Amino acid sequence: MRQIIAAAGRLRPSLPYRHQLHLFLLPYLLGSLLLLLLPALATVGIAFTQYDTLQPPQWAGLRNFGRLFDSTLVRISFYNSLFFLALAVPLRLLAALGLALLLQSKKRLFGLYRASVYLPTIIPEAAYALIWLWIFNPFYGPLNVVLAWAGLPTPNWLTDPNSARVAIVIMLLFQIGEGFVVLLAGLQNIPRAVYEAARVDGANGRQSFWHITLPLLLPWLLVLTFRDLIMSLQNTFTPSFILTYGGPYYATTFVPLLIYEIAFDFFDFGLAAAALVVTYLFLLLIIAGMLNMVRELGGLGD
Amino acid sequence: MLFRWLRWFTHHLVGLGITAVFILPLFWVMVASLRLPGLPPPNQIEWWPPDPQFGNYPFIFDLLPFGRYMINSLIVVGTAVPLTLLTASLTGFALAQLPLRQQRHWFFFNVALLLIPGASVWLFRFQILRWLGLLDSLWALILPAFAASSPLFVLLYYWACRQIPAELVEAARIDGAGPLRCWWQVVMPLAHPTTVAVTVLTFVLYWSDFISPVLYIYRPAYYTLAVGLQIMNQLDPTNWPLLMAAAVVMTLPVLFLFLWLQRYFLHDLSLANLMDKN
Repeated sequence: MRQIIAAAGRLRPSLPYRHQLHLFLLPYLLGSLLLLLLPALATVGIAFTQYDTLQPPQWAGLRNFGRLFDSTLVRISFYNSLFFLALAVPLRLLAALGLALLLQSKKRLFGLYRASVYLPTIIPEAAYALIWLWIFNPFYGPLNVVLAWAGLPTPNWLTDPNSARVAIVIMLLFQIGEGFVVLLAGLQNIPRAVYEAARVDGANGRQSFWHITLPLLLPWLLVLTFRDLIMSLQNTFTPSFILTYGGPYYATTFVPLLIYEIAFDFFDFGLAAAALVVTYLFLLLIIAGMLNMVRELGGLGD
Repeated sequence: MLFRWLRWFTHHLVGLGITAVFILPLFWVMVASLRLPGLPPPNQIEWWPPDPQFGNYPFIFDLLPFGRYMINSLIVVGTAVPLTLLTASLTGFALAQLPLRQQRHWFFFNVALLLIPGASVWLFRFQILRWLGLLDSLWALILPAFAASSPLFVLLYYWACRQIPAELVEAARIDGAGPLRCWWQVVMPLAHPTTVAVTVLTFVLYWSDFISPVLYIYRPAYYTLAVGLQIMNQLDPTNWPLLMAAAVVMTLPVLFLFLWLQRYFLHDLSLANLMDKN
């Protein structure tokens, strides 16, 4: 490598420094346009057409959206995804925050505790799904064995529509490493002096949590919530694909799985694109609403 | 004194309790992978199987071409990780050298890219791969690496490069170094922690990737480990020991990588810390 670079240096490039920098940026710019931006924009366009990937797309106006709202299965899957969002996003955030608060200590061994919280996050999706298939087994799975030992009710988990939906939320509650690490850093960045000053003024632990820790963490919490809102819809794909394939009785047919089936089983790209557009418009609305709420409460300085 | 000791004790009790909740399931998975296939598992907690069947592990390689799947996964990771490091670091370095105004534009461009949900590119990535003739080949899985895999990795390098004093690059330039040389000899050695973090994150990203092979790979010769696990599950969803053995095999490489490099994530130079410096 060193020789190559030395040789390249000797060639005395005719381009000035700045233009060479632009050359460095070119692959990334082209790649992200081709693989991210254009596909995302094309999806919006194709939502208004009928397109089966073989014939060129044909203008269909709002017909796809009409079909979307007529379909019972679409309504069920939107309900499932909403249920998931309403439960998983706040719980994941609370869990990450709680664990970050409990494990932020610089004492010995706490590094180990933190590492173990991060660990499930790195387990490959497919392996993670198989592991939870075992954990949720109603007869032999560790979860029900522990629940039975503690004298608690033992649901059938993945074979019962109500508990299956909750099961997917539970398994994703253990992959919160990213939020956990971000909040740990956020906590570390709060200057000790602020807490000292509050203590001198007679604030107790609870008061300093509500009036110092939480407001200073708010920007982090917001960013994590938005990220989770966008990511967690998609996070349901692999679990619902491997654990239940949308069942029982469509209880775990979340929006991504539905889109996958519409697009890659029926090759109805127009309808799939329309479902995507509706989903993300809805998410944008939630995010805008939350930002508005925070601004009205005066939570963020600007 | 007693109060202090009690506090210490509860702190560690809470820490250990949390650790148990996160680690014990993984331990039980390993125990489950060593049971005799075909026997009904015990319906109580078992800390160690009475007759551990280590043969379960070689056996899954006979049952399915797991060796092939593993080689495919390794090819994907082995190509995608160096490519990602190259594009992400070059891009991040070049961004940090641009005039401030342009840096801001690029920053917002990257954030906008980060907000694009994965599912919204499924449909057209499929079409683009078909047009490029890369559908149903390992290149379909590797392709994002040419664009740094994720805008986040570009941002990580960008932030790392901004931490490096501008005088260092200036000095190299006065000595006649071009941008390529500044990048390789000045910036890359100093951005070492970022390189480690991006390596681990990229490795996990490509090693775990389940959606891409499901969408873009059809020939069994190109299946990766993630697909292999799903096939195993469809083959016999009740053969717990073998299923768990397969899950352990797929998890071990990332586990070792994580344990080896975890201090970069969770200690002084954590990823989140890098992000926060800006």
